[in-house]
Amino acid sequence: MIGTTIFKIGEEVGNIGQFGRFVWRSAVTGMQSIAKSDTYPLIWAQMLAIGVRSVPVIMITGAFVGMTLAIQAYDQLAGMGLEEHLGVLINISVVKELGPVLAAVMLAGRVGGALTAELGTMKVTEQIDAIESMGTDPVKYLVAPRVLACLLLTPVLIVYADLLGIIGGWFISVIHLHINARAYWSFSAYGVDLWDVACGIIKGFFFGGAMAIISCYKGFNCKEGARGVGQACTDAFVISFISILVLDFAMVVIFKSLYSIFWPLRSLVG
Amino acid sequence: MNTEQQTTNNEQQSVKPDDGLIVLKNLTRRFGNNVVLDDISLAIEKGKTTVVIGPSGCGKSVLLKHMIVLMRPTLGEVYFKNKRIDNLDDQLLTGVRAHFGYLFQAGALFDSLSVAENIMFPVRQHCQITRFSAVEELVRNKLKMVGLDGLQRFYPANLSGGQRKRVALARAIALDPEVILYDEPTTGLDPIRADTINELILKLKGELGVTSVAVTHDMKSAYKIADRIVMLHHGKIIADGNADYIRNHPDPIVQQFIKGEISKKELEQLHKASVGSSVRLPCDVED
Ligand SMILES: Nc1ncnc2c1ncn2[C@@H]1O[C@H](COP(=O)(O)OP(=O)(O)O)[C@@H](O)[C@H]1O
Ligand SMILES: [Mg+2]
Repeated sequence: MIGTTIFKIGEEVGNIGQFGRFVWRSAVTGMQSIAKSDTYPLIWAQMLAIGVRSVPVIMITGAFVGMTLAIQAYDQLAGMGLEEHLGVLINISVVKELGPVLAAVMLAGRVGGALTAELGTMKVTEQIDAIESMGTDPVKYLVAPRVLACLLLTPVLIVYADLLGIIGGWFISVIHLHINARAYWSFSAYGVDLWDVACGIIKGFFFGGAMAIISCYKGFNCKEGARGVGQACTDAFVISFISILVLDFAMVVIFKSLYSIFWPLRSLVG
Repeated sequence: MNTEQQTTNNEQQSVKPDDGLIVLKNLTRRFGNNVVLDDISLAIEKGKTTVVIGPSGCGKSVLLKHMIVLMRPTLGEVYFKNKRIDNLDDQLLTGVRAHFGYLFQAGALFDSLSVAENIMFPVRQHCQITRFSAVEELVRNKLKMVGLDGLQRFYPANLSGGQRKRVALARAIALDPEVILYDEPTTGLDPIRADTINELILKLKGELGVTSVAVTHDMKSAYKIADRIVMLHHGKIIADGNADYIRNHPDPIVQQFIKGEISKKELEQLHKASVGSSVRLPCDVED
């Protein structure tokens, strides 16, 4: 009993080591791919599959987040006579938290799942072995373009989610709930600064990178058979999801302390 | 293990790293508690065709994968051209592997690429392509070799199992490699196609001096292409020699395998099972 527990722990530590090496290899080959233009076609192809085709779902996600927030918050603010501040609340929530996190989770499902299934199937049908046997590094050929595409495009997709979130919030607040448009926007502009938007977008790099690399790793280490592929996809999504939440928390803490270093005065006043 | 297995002869010879082009030295491979290869030593001679035979599941594919370090040994060493390769990192292995062509048991074609793109893959990776027409010509030539010219635009999903295998073979020889490792090249092909592949293997050896290792349980093919036959059984080499030597091998296990006969013991078990089936389950099958 204790023996098996120790064995399991040992195995987990071994897996973490293996994951670490995988991340390192992907990072190194990713850098090399950027330097060499012969891998650009691979990256473009992935950008199309990963980025462009995700735009509609990301926009729907963003729009509904904005609209739902508006409906939810209106009653509470209106009760205090503060409904003209609705814009700040919606837009800061969308731009700082909900836009990035929900977009990333959406991508972990849409893109991460597909990556794991594709690479996992290639693994169990020995296609990854075949790439290796022909003297090509499968990390360079398969992983680097996918990770780079996710890394570069997640922030862009987050901008789309933010935009649609803002539009959704505006639509419900101004058009549906008849809040004064001038007040709505001027309070928003006062409350949301560039820093908030930047934080959300920077988060996107980390979310996208983490999601892509976890999904690729799970695909590469997929167990035999259809069941193995299914299990790998499930694992990849769950681990990506948790990583996104953990990274989000860590980055909020870091950004907050950075903010108080750069703008100590404003932070005191505010 | 029972005593019968322990007394089977072991024709293992000890090897030195420069005994052949590829040398496996005291190679052991385990998966958990499953010992698949047990202290194997084998030197593959340059320019010759070595055939590895043995029943399904005895570790032939695993053995082949160790030769280009697609799998790493639990114990022991692998040498290529007198250089140890089993401890190289993946980047360095890339250079070593470019000397090899590998035919996978199930083909392992890239299913997102067409037949022509599959065959072009190794060319794209290793050659400067100056004229596209030259690559097209190369693809056509390789497909002709395996009798499939005209299927360039097909996708692997639309090919039969045998066709996939032959496309995979065309891909394996696309760069005219020095060494070709064949994992069951003739399995799943009709007898005439199988013989075409045998002739192709002989031709590659004769004209280009290719070193080949073929894994198979097709004895007809083995006799035809082999300069040397090695039989694997329970993770050990139990017979090693030319075709005539294997044909006249005294070991009953070898004889049973090459003649394709079931052993007396297994036959008894089979008869017992069919007669003594005492369990009857209610099934939905009409009489
Ligand atoms: N990746 C793997 N993980 C665990 N066991 C494996 C793996 N690959 C092969 N084996 C085991 O090794 C043994 C030999 O397999 P293989 O080399 O494919 O046999 P064959 O001689 O038919 O080619 C089998 O018992 C198989 O279960
Ligand atoms: Mg096999």
